[in-house]
Amino acid sequence: MKRVKLLSTLVAFSVMLAGCASSANPQTPAATTAASGTTGTAAPAAKSNLTVAYSEGGTTLDPAEANDLTSDTLVLAAYDQLVTYGIKTENGTSIANTEDIQPMLAESWEVNADNTVYTFKLKSGVSFQSGNPVDAEAVAYSFDRVAKSSSGSFLYGMAAIKSVAVKDASTVEVTLTNANHNFLQILAMYTFSIVDQKTVEAQGADYLKTNAAGSGPFTLEKWDPATEAVFTANESYWQGAPNLSKVTLKFTKEASNRVLLLDKGDVDMAIEIPPKDVASLQSNTDLTVASNASNRILFFAMNNKVKPFDNVKVRQAINYAIPYDELLSGVMYGQAKQMKSSVASNTPGFTDAGYVYEHNLDKAKELLTEAGYPDGFTFDFTLGSGFDDWEDDAVLIQAELAKIGVTMNINKLARAQFLEQQKTNNLTSYISKWTSFVNDPGYHLGFLLYGKGSSNYINYSNAEVDKLWDEANLETDAAKRTALYEQAQEIITTEAPWAYLYEYNRIVGMSNKISGYAFYPDEVIRFYPLSITE
Amino acid sequence: MFAYTLKRLVQMIPALLGIIVITFILSRVLPGDPAIMLAGEQAPEEIVDKIRQDMGLDKPLYIQFFTYIGQLLQGNIGYAYHTGHTVASDLASRFPATIELTLASILIAVLVAIPVGIVAATRKESFLDHISRVFSLIGACVPIFWLGLMFIYVFYSILGWAPAPMGRISGDLNPPVHITGLYVLDSILSGDTAALKSSLSHLLLPAICLSTGTMAIIARMTRSSMLEVVDQDFVRTARAKGLRESAVIYKHALVNALIPTLTVLGLQFGFLMGGAVITETIFSWPGIGGYVTDSILAADYAPIQAFTLVSAVLYCGINLAVDLIYGFIDPRIRYE
Repeated sequence: MKRVKLLSTLVAFSVMLAGCASSANPQTPAATTAASGTTGTAAPAAKSNLTVAYSEGGTTLDPAEANDLTSDTLVLAAYDQLVTYGIKTENGTSIANTEDIQPMLAESWEVNADNTVYTFKLKSGVSFQSGNPVDAEAVAYSFDRVAKSSSGSFLYGMAAIKSVAVKDASTVEVTLTNANHNFLQILAMYTFSIVDQKTVEAQGADYLKTNAAGSGPFTLEKWDPATEAVFTANESYWQGAPNLSKVTLKFTKEASNRVLLLDKGDVDMAIEIPPKDVASLQSNTDLTVASNASNRILFFAMNNKVKPFDNVKVRQAINYAIPYDELLSGVMYGQAKQMKSSVASNTPGFTDAGYVYEHNLDKAKELLTEAGYPDGFTFDFTLGSGFDDWEDDAVLIQAELAKIGVTMNINKLARAQFLEQQKTNNLTSYISKWTSFVNDPGYHLGFLLYGKGSSNYINYSNAEVDKLWDEANLETDAAKRTALYEQAQEIITTEAPWAYLYEYNRIVGMSNKISGYAFYPDEVIRFYPLSITE
Repeated sequence: MFAYTLKRLVQMIPALLGIIVITFILSRVLPGDPAIMLAGEQAPEEIVDKIRQDMGLDKPLYIQFFTYIGQLLQGNIGYAYHTGHTVASDLASRFPATIELTLASILIAVLVAIPVGIVAATRKESFLDHISRVFSLIGACVPIFWLGLMFIYVFYSILGWAPAPMGRISGDLNPPVHITGLYVLDSILSGDTAALKSSLSHLLLPAICLSTGTMAIIARMTRSSMLEVVDQDFVRTARAKGLRESAVIYKHALVNALIPTLTVLGLQFGFLMGGAVITETIFSWPGIGGYVTDSILAADYAPIQAFTLVSAVLYCGINLAVDLIYGFIDPRIRYE
């Protein structure tokens, strides 16, 4: 009896609840299009929706703090910068030319004689999505946010910005501490997006973490890192309304699912496709797989202060023992390119001068004998988790080194622990990837192989290389600068602080209906130039 | 019973306190620096130090602990650096998804496993009993990730019956009006048939996938406790009275055999919440499992602590509920 009473109370309660709630979805098919929300109004263009599968959901929408692929993508969809990269065509594919700096929110700029004061003239009549005008005040405010940010402030220092002054409503003057050839390239990055000062100040400091306030081509409608991010076209965008009326990013962690979704046509585009799945996607005639050489490199780092890697000959011997072809074909299924310098081959100023290493165990053995290790040696290798290919690489290298008497002990660490350990500069050897946000050898080497470089975790130090880098950093003539960086690369390659493994391809799978895709070295997809046909 | 419930609730307090302390210490002791993860690889040391200060990680451990307790008392469970949202809003959006998945898988497990267990017990050593044994064995052994990927491959990729393994509802539908956060229940309550159909179809595969292990355990548990019961005097008496066989089995034997099954079910709930991690990742189910894994990988302390605390409360609650339900099933059990 008691139970029956309880049950009937429950039923009555739920009926009561049901009475209060109206359905969130239309119940008759006819009403579906009319009630499907704000986007339903643009009926003729309704077909141009793009759905892209991403692996991660992003961590912030704040341009000054964003530093992961998804966050950067979201920022670039909603914001504009003062300047942007030009596009060039190579073998029929569009690739960003990071040396060719084009105007964006800035209409033009002037540089003083010693390249330390840049005066930007803003385009007139450009407004933020809120309707507020894009003015010099907003630019100065945005730069100031970068200077004070956690993640982005190092770029402020990297750009060598000393001060930013508002000259008049549409003129901004940026003074540098010294001439810096990378300055404009850094300004084109998502970090230096121009934010709507009035909106941010009205909404409070945390507003930008989960909301966008830019002048960009897309307006953020929804961002839930667990499921999806949705953008709608900014119809009054100053460069003209985008071709796409809606962009949806679906966050799907499992790589095999992204491949399936793309293959079945449930998403129009997918990033981070595993190399092994490229061939099967290419066999689908509805799809195009863009596989571009990126400037993301993978190297085998050896601590130059730790025995036996303090000996050049030992490091060179390791270089000769790496099975390059097996790594490229067996691990990367051809979706990578052999690396021949400490700088990626598509970085302007790259040279493979001094590169002699090929898989040659006899040569490796000979070098080891010369170095005083005729019977080989044993060393510790630290493997950070999170990347499938690294593990395969490590095992293949381990097997190859065993053939010349070298025992490599692989210690696995979770990524967070690995990064912490790496920062101590005490790891004997490890594998690491690197992408230089600014596609410039100076930026790249300054971090990794310059004596005082902040990411030079292997203690590589060569007075000659440091001198060349210092000289190049102040050199304003591009050709002379390149010559200096080339010399530095040659010395590094010969001294072999790393064994070069490969340069990753950036693999993006997309439906044939998509046009306008261009590859950017920062690997972020810009949605504005894309269009989709039904 | 009220006094008993109250006593049990009071007893939870030291347990929860212990969990707060242990989780706090464990998350700090384990290697991995959240500031480095947050700053990114290319950030120099000064930036990492600045972030560490902003997060309060430069302070001594006991000060961090008291700050944390202070925040907890104010109902503030922190900020998740790796999602850019507060932990409270993250949990609010993700917990219902996991609860829905877990409840659905328990329901499926019970609906399948109890009848299977009964059949296996009443027809002991028959062909059906052997079949059920084989299936239980398979259910207990098959890894969830493999089963999930197979399900997706067969039902989505080849047959096209299942929707794309992306989330809880089709992208072209709005989620049902928020009442409980459980999409299926909410769409029933709001009479939203479109959402009901879509959310059910999205729920089915992950729920079956998650339920397999529990199904196997419940089936075996039901079988063995039924076998124990059917040989007892009161069942013999019921039969001797000339009751129909179905009444003997369901009214007399099953009700008495349910107590151990229920105990196992309560324990399974906690297990399923943990097991949901893999299922959620495979089916892109926006639940708590993937969130906690990401938090651990990013060494993001606040969500780890909050999740452990909320799970502990939930687990204690479920155990209490199970204990209370014993009384409903078996009136001989009293609470004092």
